[in-house]
This record gives sequence, C-alpha cells and structure tokens, in this order.
Amino acid sequence: MKFKKFMRTYRPFTRAGMLESVAYRANFICFLLGEIMSCFIMFFVWKAVFNSTTSPDFMGFTMSDMVVYLFITFLTGYLTYSDGTYAIATEIRDGSIAMRMIKPCSFDMCFLFQELGNKIFNVLVIFVPIVLGVEIYRWAITGVCQFDIVHFLLYIISLVLAYLISFYFNVSYGFMAFYLKNLWGADILKECIVNFLSGATIPLAFMPTVLADILNFLPFSSLSYTPVMIYMGMYSLDEIALRMLLQVFWLVTMILISKAVWNHAVKRLCSQGG
Amino acid sequence: MIYVNDLKKEFKKAIKEPGLKGSIKALFKPNNEIIKAVDGITFHVPKGEILGFIGPNGAGKSTVIKMLTGILTPTSGTCTINGYVPQKDRQKYVKEIGVVFGQRTQLWWDLALRETYSVLKEIYDVPDKEFKQRMAFLNEVLELDSFITSPVRTLSLGQRMRADIAASLLHNPKVLFLDEPTIGLDVVVKDNIRNAIQKINAEEGTTVILTTHDLSDIELLCNRIVMIDKGKKVFDGQINELKHEFGQMRDLQFELVDINNVAKLDYCEHFNATADDLQLSNEGVMVSVRFNSDVVSVEDMLSYTLSKVHVKDINLKDADIEEIIRRMYRQEVSIDEV
Repeated sequence: MKFKKFMRTYRPFTRAGMLESVAYRANFICFLLGEIMSCFIMFFVWKAVFNSTTSPDFMGFTMSDMVVYLFITFLTGYLTYSDGTYAIATEIRDGSIAMRMIKPCSFDMCFLFQELGNKIFNVLVIFVPIVLGVEIYRWAITGVCQFDIVHFLLYIISLVLAYLISFYFNVSYGFMAFYLKNLWGADILKECIVNFLSGATIPLAFMPTVLADILNFLPFSSLSYTPVMIYMGMYSLDEIALRMLLQVFWLVTMILISKAVWNHAVKRLCSQGG
Repeated sequence: MIYVNDLKKEFKKAIKEPGLKGSIKALFKPNNEIIKAVDGITFHVPKGEILGFIGPNGAGKSTVIKMLTGILTPTSGTCTINGYVPQKDRQKYVKEIGVVFGQRTQLWWDLALRETYSVLKEIYDVPDKEFKQRMAFLNEVLELDSFITSPVRTLSLGQRMRADIAASLLHNPKVLFLDEPTIGLDVVVKDNIRNAIQKINAEEGTTVILTTHDLSDIELLCNRIVMIDKGKKVFDGQINELKHEFGQMRDLQFELVDINNVAKLDYCEHFNATADDLQLSNEGVMVSVRFNSDVVSVEDMLSYTLSKVHVKDINLKDADIEEIIRRMYRQEVSIDEV
C-alpha cells in the first residue's frame, strides 16, 4: 500500500522526465554523436598502442578486450551518468529550488524519478545497438559467441547499483552549491577526477599495483570499472560478490552523506534572486 | 490559524572591497556583515482572512513569506500554521498550502500546461472527481482554456501567472500565499486574478496572505494589512485605521468660473504648509488641492478657497490608500536619513 502510494506520487515525475526528453531530442542526438566520436578516437589511440608492441596483449588486455572495454565503458558511463549536480546546482543558483520545497515530495526522489524518465528513451536507443555491436565484434574476432547470460545479468545488477551510487554522489555534490553558490568550475573538476579514478579513461589494471588497489576500494571504481569488468568476465563469481558488496556499501554511504548534507545545507539556504 | 511570533532572520553578507584586489582579499579573509532581513515580527491571521502584506522593496516581505512556507529557516522566533511548524513537517505541511511567487514559476517549463496539472494532481493526491470540478472552476475564473495545451515556456507573463495561480489552488489549500501575484500584468489580467482570489476566499474560506506593490490589490482584496519596513512591523490593522492613523490626506476639487483666478490661490503661503502637506494642480478650470487635514483644517481650506475665487462646483474626498502608503514609505525613509 505504502509502495503504491509512493509510486503514485513519483511516477508523474518519470512521465514528466520522459516528455521533457522528447522535447529535447536534437540535444540528445548531438550529445550521442559527440560521445560516439570520442569513443572512436580512443579506439584509434589504443589501436596505435597495440600496433606498436609485438606481443598480442598489453597488461593482460588483448586488442579485442580493449575494444569491448572502451565501448562497454562508454555505455556504462552513459547509463550511470547522473545530472544531479548540474540540476541541483542550477536550481540553487537561481533560487528555483524554493519551488521544489513547497511541494509535498522528497527531493532526491523527485530528481531520481525525473532523471529515470529522462533516460528511458535514450537507454533504449543506445543500449541494444552497442551491446549487439560489441558481441558481433567479439564473435567476428574470435569465431565463438562470447555472450554469457549470467555475466550479462550480473552486469545489469551492478549497473543499477552503479547508477544509484552515481546519483547520490552527484546529489551530495550538488548540494555543495548551497555553500559555493555556483558550481560550474567545481563540476568540471569533478568530472575529470571521477573519469580518471573510476577507470573510465584508463583501465585500473594498467595502473601501478598500489594505486590500483586503492582505487579499487574507493567509490569511483564502483561507478564504472566494476560493472565493466563483470561484463567482460574478468572477475570470478567470488570476486563479483565481493565487488557488489562494496558497491552496496558505497551506495548506503552515499545516501547517508546526501541526507546529512541536505539537512545541514537547507538551514543555510538563502534566497538568491528575490 | 497563522501565528507568527517574534520572527527573525539574519543573513550573512560578505563585504567585499571593490575591484580585483578586493575580490582576492575577500577570497582569503572573508569579511562578513550580518544583515537583519526580518527583525522580530509578530502577527496573527484568523481563518478566512485576506491579509495584505506590504512594505517598500527590500523590507523583508518575501523573506517572511519564505519562512512561512518553510523554504527558509528562521534565525529565531516561531511560526505555526494550521498547527504545523513549516520547517519541521515540511512534506505534510505543504500539502495544505498553495504558494505563488510572482517572479518564479512552479509549472514544468517544458511540458504542456495540462501535463503540469496532471502531475500536480498525483503529487497532491487529488481524487478524479474533485480534480475535474476544480479544473472547471479554475478554467472559468482564470480562462485557462485558450492556452492549456501550450508548453509553459511559450506562455505570456499574464497567461503564466494565471496558470501558476490555478496550480496553487488545485489541491484546495487551506492557506494561500501570494508573493506579488500581479507583478507586471495588465489591468484585465489583474482583474481576473483578483476575481479568482476573492471567489476562492468566499467559497472555500481560504486564508490568503498577499504581498504586493499594487495598492489597488490591497484596497480591493484585503480586510487587513500588515506593513513592514526594514524588517520591522510598522502597521497592523484595518485599512480605515491606516487612513486614520497616518495623515488625513484630503482632495479638494472644484471648477472655477474664471480660469484667470487660479493665480489668486496661494495656499502654501497662506497656510504656511510644506509641499508634502499641500499640493495644488489644475487642468484648465478644474483645480485640485491635496492637503493634510491635520495641518490645514477642512473648514479653513474651504473658507479660504471660497473667499478668493468663485466656483461652479466643489467636491471634497478622502485621499485613497495609495497616497497614504506613498507618504508612509517616504516618511520612513526620511526619518532614517536624519
């Protein structure tokens, strides 16, 4: 009953998010083209790296592993991307956060459900082609179908966890705008750092052991590296269980942090723009 | 219904010396000054009242409204509305209030207006039947029909404001907060909105708190006004009381027989009154004298006028509320500058 009421309250946000995403189709298409282009740039960079060595693999990655890594990382990064920081920071900066406070809903849930709605179409448009493309590529290179349904399903679970971690991380970060007033610079800094620390730029396996160990434990690897490694079948089942446990740990931590930041920040809310 | 007790809100404001040097200095050694935006305000609003909340720009009106609606947390003091403390039970409390900030919108920018209403219906848990009735009523008073299918971002200011007011009334709130609902609107739309407020108040007994700079809003809608300035309450009472308490401005209007007689009238010198207390203006034979009846009695005024010129017609009336408030604003400013 409570769940039903909960869904009734927040479903409209998802619907509104969907309608919004339809209103900005061109934006999505441009974004997608840009991202895919940068994906191919990375592909050619790595191709050059592999071409210049004589051994068929590099730090345990073959060229085809690398391609899978690149594209699945791109997919994961896109699916777990959360706009929370920007959305919240903008609303705080222009003061329209006030309009959310006069509605009988919880903030994080409003943002979450709206963002889910925003993503639904985009996910459908992007998910199937990339997975299909990657699998065809793997099959063409090795001659055997590499698709493994168990790993795929575990990947989906890990992906959902990663998204929620990303969401709460971004919400917490967005609330910083209560203190900084404008978060534009800090947001760009965050993107760079997160991309590097999460292994989205370079696989963590390529890094020095000590650094890789530390990064593996930090929340950032839970955002992208963990699900990608699961997809690629680089982890044993034991390892997967451990990694997912770590993801759950970071998710709970992030939720608690976001609540704490919110409770503290809202008292300091001052009115910007009347 | 609404109890506000010694409400205070202080903001920290960074003082920055001008120029780049000042910015850099402020970066390392911020120098804060405390601004008292609201400084101990107390009032009480019974159920079903329309209260006008007025004051010059920057008086702290919006800050009070923001505290009453739970957006800002007071530095000290309390407010209780329907038995709720807005900051404590935010989610439950806001279900019972409607809020319109004239300078913002609660509508979904990218959605058709109709969609916003169905989103709000779900959020506020409005039953289907009630929703239909409400929409029909709001449609009728605010004339939403012509733009209900357009995306909100394409609406004109007047349309948007009407839509916003409808949105705040959809769930039949017990208290309605309107922060400058008629700002920047034309006369027809203003009328429309005043009508809606009056109807809702009469039919549902909704308590309304209204801030505005448009004094005809006040005169047409409010039973009572609270005026604040520099964060302090300077007046609380009926509009008649205000007229009584602050300056007895009267308008004496008459029609001259001979237009050349205007020169004979030299009120300022005769009564030794300042321009603030006495003003003369004329359009051809129509002359209008605005005077403070505390300084110049009505009798003196009439006898002086009639002794100097012949008039065809004469008429004396109370100055409107607008004039009183204008004088009050000016007075407050001048007291402070001395």
